[in-house]
Amino acid sequence: MSQSQNGGEASGVTRRGFLKGAGVAAGGLAATGTMAGEALAAQAEGDVTRLSGKIKLELRVNGDKQKVEVEPRTTLLSALRHRVEPALTGTKIVCDHGNCGACTVLMDGEPVCSCITLAVQAEGREIRTVEGLADGDRLSPLQEAFVEHDAMMCGFCTPGFLMSLTGCLEKNPQASETEIRSACAGNTCRCGTYPNVFAAAKSAGERMSKGGGK
Amino acid sequence: MSTFKPGWKPRSEMGVLNKPHPRVDGPAKVTGKARYAHDIRMPGMLYARLLCCPHPSAVAKLDFAPAMAVEGVIDAIALEPSETRFLGQPVAAVAAESPEAAEDGLRAIKVEWEHLDWALTPEQAEAEDAPQLSTRGPNARTARESGDLEATRAALESADFVVESTYRIPVQHHVCLETHGHVIDFDGENATVYASSQAVFAVRAEVADALGLPVDKVHVRVDYMGGGFGSKFGIGVEGAAACELAKRNKRPIHLMLTRRDEFLMAGNRSGAKKTLKGGATKDGKFIALETVTHRHGGFGAGSNSPQPYIYNVETFHTLDRFVLTNTDAGRAMRAPGHPQASFAIESMVDELAYGMGFDPVEFRIRNLEDPVYHRQLKRVAQEIGWYEHPNRTSSAPVNGGLNVGIGFGLSVWGGGGNPSRVRATTRIEADGSVSITNGVQDLGTGSRTLLTLIVAEEFNLQPKQVTARIGHSDMGASVGSGGSVTTASISPAIKDSAENAKRAFFERLAPIMEREADQLMMGPGGEVRAVDDATRKLSWREACSILGADAIEETGSGRPELAGNGVHGVQGARVEVDTQTGRYRVKKMVCVQDCGLPLNHKTIKSQMNGGMVGTLSFGMLEERLLDPWLGTAMNADLENYKVAHSMEIPEMVSIIDEDDTRQQVIGMAEPTGIPGHSAIANAIYNACGVRLHTMPFTPDKVLMGLLENA
Repeated sequence: MSQSQNGGEASGVTRRGFLKGAGVAAGGLAATGTMAGEALAAQAEGDVTRLSGKIKLELRVNGDKQKVEVEPRTTLLSALRHRVEPALTGTKIVCDHGNCGACTVLMDGEPVCSCITLAVQAEGREIRTVEGLADGDRLSPLQEAFVEHDAMMCGFCTPGFLMSLTGCLEKNPQASETEIRSACAGNTCRCGTYPNVFAAAKSAGERMSKGGGK
Repeated sequence: MSTFKPGWKPRSEMGVLNKPHPRVDGPAKVTGKARYAHDIRMPGMLYARLLCCPHPSAVAKLDFAPAMAVEGVIDAIALEPSETRFLGQPVAAVAAESPEAAEDGLRAIKVEWEHLDWALTPEQAEAEDAPQLSTRGPNARTARESGDLEATRAALESADFVVESTYRIPVQHHVCLETHGHVIDFDGENATVYASSQAVFAVRAEVADALGLPVDKVHVRVDYMGGGFGSKFGIGVEGAAACELAKRNKRPIHLMLTRRDEFLMAGNRSGAKKTLKGGATKDGKFIALETVTHRHGGFGAGSNSPQPYIYNVETFHTLDRFVLTNTDAGRAMRAPGHPQASFAIESMVDELAYGMGFDPVEFRIRNLEDPVYHRQLKRVAQEIGWYEHPNRTSSAPVNGGLNVGIGFGLSVWGGGGNPSRVRATTRIEADGSVSITNGVQDLGTGSRTLLTLIVAEEFNLQPKQVTARIGHSDMGASVGSGGSVTTASISPAIKDSAENAKRAFFERLAPIMEREADQLMMGPGGEVRAVDDATRKLSWREACSILGADAIEETGSGRPELAGNGVHGVQGARVEVDTQTGRYRVKKMVCVQDCGLPLNHKTIKSQMNGGMVGTLSFGMLEERLLDPWLGTAMNADLENYKVAHSMEIPEMVSIIDEDDTRQQVIGMAEPTGIPGHSAIANAIYNACGVRLHTMPFTPDKVLMGLLENA
């Protein structure tokens, strides 16, 4: 699990900073658009209080702006599945502890477990979910390869695998099988489709490096 | 009209079946459009959660007032009985405006637990001072006994070589990625139920009962479901609680278990302790086996397939007992009872073979009458590299380096169906569109795809020209998906409906074609033509256009001759053991599986991969851990309950046994999930001489074995 998946430094909001920023929001300032900045400012001022109550946020999901009302503890996963209208239920809840990768989304291109990422941490970030992979009816090369290679059975883990591997292949379409395995090492498939997942990712990568897709 | 009921075409003439096809719902699954019960959203819907008892046995005194004071909490109910009999048994449910509020509500319930005596482990349950857990009898009971004990002991006396070993198999979990649960939308007269279920029609009956409705007012939908593996047949406590909340609140209820609930109360595969005493003669004949099994099925009897399992042992005796504990009852899981039986007998067979200096493949062949196993064993042995392997009659010498080992295991299963319980309907419309409808659920096995393939074959169409409608109790009757019966149950009925539709279609076309209906046939690409004159033909679209608004709609059922029963299966594993640390990797697994007529090679091979991955995970990693002193669960989460991930997956070779020429469809999912872990244990022995009697095969056990042997 990378640091960013734990919502650590790489996500731009430190744990300390988040608590400080929480104080700003609770103090009555509308927390829209600059949660992270306010958090850092609050930290500099030594202001320590906790965030509570309802917070209005704007999330950028699959290129759309989504206004949502969350609580400080609301996870990005819950915001996507329960707060966004219409609900984006492609991202799945399975373990709710960051163990299984079913809730993986891309945040500024990096895979994160949305079940251990707070919605407030996602503000100002570009979020991509499984619903944002296809271009209209045109599947992404990886989605297409998943279908061709039968890289899914019940399908419940599939969105998470697609997001982890999209994150990998968009950076390095020529990823080796070891890199592919390592990119989805945090994803659990209980039906046991792994061999087909690796084959699909390999073939999608080949297509992508020939310029056959984004 | 025998020409219309010809059965399956010869394999060589098939244009669609007996080939690989991607699943038709693949695009829905890769775009997030596939909606599972978890994903249902409705105006006014409440989210419900269960309060599970954190103790093995207690009486709950519940005060809901603090919970009802939580913002967003709408209702809280006590569940019967208040006296719990297993760790994790639900005692209350809360419904709220959001999942978070429901969790707040649960935490706010004031509970006084009055502790009752308990026994969490089989050892505790069998202790002299153990509380009696059931009024129906003692904690440890005999489930069945078979064979001749005296003759078995006499045969063991006469054997040239005898091995006695005790094998321990832990309780394992299904770990369905979609937890159990339902959305119940009840308006007082009708109920629509979105279920994560393996049995659409069983859910309908149970919900009708819970809501006090006639079954025809209950409409169950299972469009997609996120894994069942044997654990999702009824509505369970969670479904009953959701019904009660729906009745009380007149709002849709979304009640899906949390991951922790899922581990504690949504079933498991029963564990076992099995003591086997086996004897063989010096010419390699396995002549006698005495077995004592203790099943560990929590508050249930557990499951066990009796010994000598697949092997032909002349004289045997089995005593099969179960031990009750204050844990969740075991449920069916991927070939109930078989993986446990497999580990014990395949290990025993290997212990006998190596003990007498036999090649374990040769020893198996000498003790299996069914020639199908002989051919499958040889095929697997070849694919896994057995014949080039240097250590075929003893384990490899240990010198501190990396050692390669190979092992084997066998399966057996029925896989037959109940086609007479299935009604499928084929429709042909004037615009050429074709649909096939049956209420069956698709667990991810590919049943939705199968419907389209069978109909496409009948009319020489492309599979994508056929739409499958499934997963709804308002559709034609179907079976629950357990015992790998689905394929053998639905395929004959689907074929029958397609044949009936073809016949009805030909009867309608007969006057235009100036031929009798039985003188018409399907040509390539769905064209309809005269049997005696290939130029007298209509394209599919032309032919369909004569239907007008009066579409063809024909139902089919039965046709048991199109399905068969009885499959085998052999698997091999190749491992590499680090003989300094005990760590090992499974490098390759091979599965050869028969299944009668293979309808869709792609989904069949996916099942084989899945079976091997499941048993690999079971063998290497999985074990439910309880704290016998505190009475708590130690790994009821996916952090500490380990399952296989990408890094554990070896090279996998899945081979459909095409020497099985039966022109009958047979289910093949479960046998592939039986022997993989047994093959891995045998491969570890072959690599380094460490015989593992206790699952899972963690590196510390291998290391301890290496130290003992050193």
